[in-house]
Amino acid sequence: MAWGGGWGGGPGMGGQHPGATGGTGLPFGGIPQELMDGVKKIVANEPSHPPATLSFQQLPSEAESRRLTLGRMVRSHTGLFAFASLLVVLISVASQAGPALVGYAIDHGMQPGHHSMRVIAICSIAYLSAALVASLFQRWQASVSGRLASRVMYDLRIKVFTHFQRLSLDFFTEEKAGVLMSRMTSDIENLQQLLQDGLAQFAMQGLTMIIIIIALFSTNVVLATWTVLLVIPILVVLTIWFHISSEKGYLRARDAIANVLADLSESLYGIRVVTANNRQRHNIIHHRNVVGEYRNANMFTGQIMSVYGPVTIMVGILSQALLLGIGGQMVLRGELSLGGLTLFILYLNRFFQPIQLLVQQYNLLQQGRSSIIRLRELLAISPSVNEVPNAITLPPITGRLTFEDVSFGYIPGRPVLEHVNLEIAPGESVAFVGPTGAGKSTLAKLATRFYDPTAGRVLVDGVDLTTVTMHSLRSQLGVVPQEPFLFSGTVRVNLRFGRPGATDADIDEAVDVVGLRDLIDRLPNGLDTVVHERGQTLSAGERQLLALARAFLARPRVLVLDEATSSLDLRSETIIERALDRMLEGRTAILIAHRLTTAQRADRIVVVDQGGIVEVGSHQELVQAQGIYAGMYEAWIASGGRDTSL
Amino acid sequence: MTNPRLEPMFHASGPSPAFEHIGETQRFAGPRAEISRDRNLAWWRRIMPVLKSHRLTFIGAISFSFVSLIFQTLVPKILMSAIERLTPGHHQPIHDIVVAVLIIGLLAGVAGYLSRRFLFTTAYNVESDLRNLMYEHLTWLSFSFYDRVQSGQLISRANSDIRSVQMYFTFAPQIIVQCGIGVIAFGFMLSINVTLALIAMITMPIMYVVGIKMRQVMFPISWIIQARLAEVAAIVDENINGVRVVKSFAQEASEINRLADASEKVAWAYTKDADIRGQWAPWVQNLPQLGLALVLFFGGWMVTLGHAPIGAIVAFNAYLLMLQAPFMMLGQLVMMGQRARASAERIFEILDEQPEITERPGAVDLLDVQGEVVFDHVRFGYAEGADILQDFHVTIRAGESVALVGRTGSGKSTVARLVARFYDVRDGSILIDNHDVRDVTLPSLRSNVGLVLDEPFLFSVSIRENISYGQADATLDQIISAAKAANAHGFIEQLPDGYDTVVGERGYTLSGGQRQRIAIARTLLVNPPILILDDATSAIDVHVEAEIHEALEALLEHRTTLVIAHRISTIALAKRVILLEDGRVVAEGTHDELLASIPLYAEVLAQTTSENL
Repeated sequence: MAWGGGWGGGPGMGGQHPGATGGTGLPFGGIPQELMDGVKKIVANEPSHPPATLSFQQLPSEAESRRLTLGRMVRSHTGLFAFASLLVVLISVASQAGPALVGYAIDHGMQPGHHSMRVIAICSIAYLSAALVASLFQRWQASVSGRLASRVMYDLRIKVFTHFQRLSLDFFTEEKAGVLMSRMTSDIENLQQLLQDGLAQFAMQGLTMIIIIIALFSTNVVLATWTVLLVIPILVVLTIWFHISSEKGYLRARDAIANVLADLSESLYGIRVVTANNRQRHNIIHHRNVVGEYRNANMFTGQIMSVYGPVTIMVGILSQALLLGIGGQMVLRGELSLGGLTLFILYLNRFFQPIQLLVQQYNLLQQGRSSIIRLRELLAISPSVNEVPNAITLPPITGRLTFEDVSFGYIPGRPVLEHVNLEIAPGESVAFVGPTGAGKSTLAKLATRFYDPTAGRVLVDGVDLTTVTMHSLRSQLGVVPQEPFLFSGTVRVNLRFGRPGATDADIDEAVDVVGLRDLIDRLPNGLDTVVHERGQTLSAGERQLLALARAFLARPRVLVLDEATSSLDLRSETIIERALDRMLEGRTAILIAHRLTTAQRADRIVVVDQGGIVEVGSHQELVQAQGIYAGMYEAWIASGGRDTSL
Repeated sequence: MTNPRLEPMFHASGPSPAFEHIGETQRFAGPRAEISRDRNLAWWRRIMPVLKSHRLTFIGAISFSFVSLIFQTLVPKILMSAIERLTPGHHQPIHDIVVAVLIIGLLAGVAGYLSRRFLFTTAYNVESDLRNLMYEHLTWLSFSFYDRVQSGQLISRANSDIRSVQMYFTFAPQIIVQCGIGVIAFGFMLSINVTLALIAMITMPIMYVVGIKMRQVMFPISWIIQARLAEVAAIVDENINGVRVVKSFAQEASEINRLADASEKVAWAYTKDADIRGQWAPWVQNLPQLGLALVLFFGGWMVTLGHAPIGAIVAFNAYLLMLQAPFMMLGQLVMMGQRARASAERIFEILDEQPEITERPGAVDLLDVQGEVVFDHVRFGYAEGADILQDFHVTIRAGESVALVGRTGSGKSTVARLVARFYDVRDGSILIDNHDVRDVTLPSLRSNVGLVLDEPFLFSVSIRENISYGQADATLDQIISAAKAANAHGFIEQLPDGYDTVVGERGYTLSGGQRQRIAIARTLLVNPPILILDDATSAIDVHVEAEIHEALEALLEHRTTLVIAHRISTIALAKRVILLEDGRVVAEGTHDELLASIPLYAEVLAQTTSENL
């Protein structure tokens, strides 16, 4: 199909929004064929970068937790920054030598009767040299700023990403994935642009204006005063107006485009509902209105730009006229040389150039500023589940889990669990069963400290989970979630995820224990087969088997299977149930099960309902007790469930 | 075949057709033109009709831009004559010149304002049109299209690609006008002094060539950057979606190092980019300075020889400064053109996509439906895939309720999607009251067939608007009674703002069961004679489901209903059960009959039921 090939194509816009498609996959399909040669040539010269060896601490150091500012980010690269600043000053001076030289040449080389080719030649060569020097400095400045920007952004990427890793699970369930993506992508890239080009440009433009004012005053104080008085107040007022109103316009346009994209995205994701409900026309009208608001917001900004740009041009021409009038009189009275007047006119021309550029780059500044604010807000969020200072390292555990009068709710005032008491012995396997929403998964999440109880304590080997380091706790736990998430990479890399040091023999063992051998043999490259984005190339059952093998390989003391078998077909379920026997050997395990076949494998079954434990016992005991579990079991058998307990 | 695409575009503001309920008044006009359908045309010619529909403002923008620039080019020439009068030996007053420059300045400002005003108007109108065209086209595309494309890709196309096309179409003409002014400025310079004009202009073509060369060199590195940024994005994406796995294996440090390695490669690419830019950009920026140095030297020489006035040097300085920008932008124009072309082609790819499900000419409205549904030897498969349904032949009598049971992948859900003609059958036909669904108008068909999908999709608007999604003009009473029938009224009332509570993105602030109940209410509100429940109660707790069933049973009384279900309790809603295996009907009868006589039925139930205990 013609369509298929085209979709991969990269963003032709140079990918200004690499995060735009964040949640749905790679926005970038590949480098176009015709550019491959150029790309290869560049990459051939790339040195090999030593692999990073950063460490992770749950608690940020004091330096890490300081408020994010541009200044602090740059501070760790003071040398580069100082060099870049020096170059910016030198470039600004060298670039503005021209008009002074022209003025000098006119006064001392071209006055009727006083012609001097020597002066003219010297001035021309000086002009040329200044241009060459400026070019050279610019070249260095580009490299230095580029280096500075990329180092600072490298630091920032690590900083933000490390912060992501510190944040708790609740943060990731509340925040939209797309929003988080754009913090790490477009926001950081905005700052990269600002730092690489923008700041140096702004500095140079500001300096240019100062240098020009100095040059004017050193030529003729009276005329310079006139110029400054005529031009500066108007420009200041105009610029303040521009700044305030374009800020307003920027915010308006940002909200409006967000609405347009939200409407579009919802309509696309919900297109089946739209079509089924004959909503197309209504939605088209709605979209026209939303787009119309966006257009109006843009027009508001457009109006500001339409005024500011031409008005500065106009002020430029008008001030030239006045300068000519005043300066002309001075020349006629002999108070000013002709070269001096020329110098004034030429500088005045250049004075307005930076302002025009400023208008063009203003957006960059605004984007950079709001990006830094957003990043600052993100970095200010502290994890809801955090280590205490001086948390202890949990020694190797036997796996005794204790829930001590535990209460918990995701939302204050809406408890999910109340006063739960439960003790799980080392090596014991316990199945949690009960209706959806009863709190089964929540109990498991408390045991792995994805959340902290609102009251009571969870203990492992008698140690309160909140007093130990996250790393020492979690490296002894293994979780197999309902939706097995695979990373893009080979099967081998995925299996090794929990224990990067695992040997091939370890991997083979895990593969055999879980019953993955058949699958691995079937894959084109065996263990080295690349599984794609979220493992879509494998079936749900196969992914679940991989996730089990991954957990097995990590050799956790406590294993939590959170509805790990609920999305499986019969065949995979049978394989997994066989694997479970091996996996649970000598391990403390929590099984959250929809299927009673899985529950029956556990040493004990805990029935959770309405925020508490209502029944505990072995399968046999509970069936005999004729309580809730017995009822569930009966219903299940009646509907044809297999009894594997015998 | 009529194309449903054109029609809504031009008539969306007209009276609403009988089967659609439009609850919003249009405040902004839709697009007045479409892109050209002729795929053989050059990309920019295909977009021309849209630009043409805004020709008044566009022409205004170009004309005023021209006028403003003409005024600006006049200034240096006038300055020159002023300096001439001030040159020792002449010494004449220049009041008239000052006044002339003042007037020119004012006119240039006004013309500049008008040109930008018109330009922005055109630009944003073209952008709005493209956005609306894209949206409207996407709205009418068929399910099969959405089955094979990622919505995320579509959104990025609809956003950045439209932007880049818009930018090209509004700024390209402006740059061309500015370059045209360059010609006039060059004319002025020639009129002052031919030799000096040629010397002054010598650097301009070099600048243009160097500019293009620079972009060619920059192109590969910018792709490398994009590719590496995408790698970083992929790692971040995985860590957001796989956060539980990372945390539960305590692999934060190794993920940070993975990101650090990828970031290091990004940093290197950016540094390389800066180096390459540093090698080229200063020359492009300083070539005009070279021109000015040449003007000073040769101009000075000519002044000493008496061939040129001193003012010429001032005028040339001003002209070269004026020309610098358009020549630099000319190179940019080439690049913008390449981007815009790539973007436009990606937009066309969507706009050229034809809806597969279209109405036949002369399709009639499906009216007074009794509700008999016949699947007449239907064969069906998705896209180019294998057949999912083969010789599927079922008759559902008007008012009858039927349950469809089968393993995952047996084709149950597919059957549900065929009745409302979301896909067309490969062979055979589907008849409602003896009308082939392909012979009736789509809105009338769909308003008669209510479908509740297994994944209840809610929109991030209020619950009230979600329930009245299919009938935007419904009264609150109607909405409440639909909610009651779906057993949703109780929990809705407990929400902070009741029916006005806005549900979060895709309704994720509600539980799965609550979303399903709202989806059921949404369908019940439309009151369709034919109702299809595709696993619509799977996430609802059994005891809540029992309550819905009471309400549903009353509602199903005189309605043709097709229930696709796993739970025995849900199946019990239906009088007749059809067992589906590999896209064929293998047995039908009552639940008890099948349970007694068909071992496969018991097996399927056992499997599917245990999944949902």
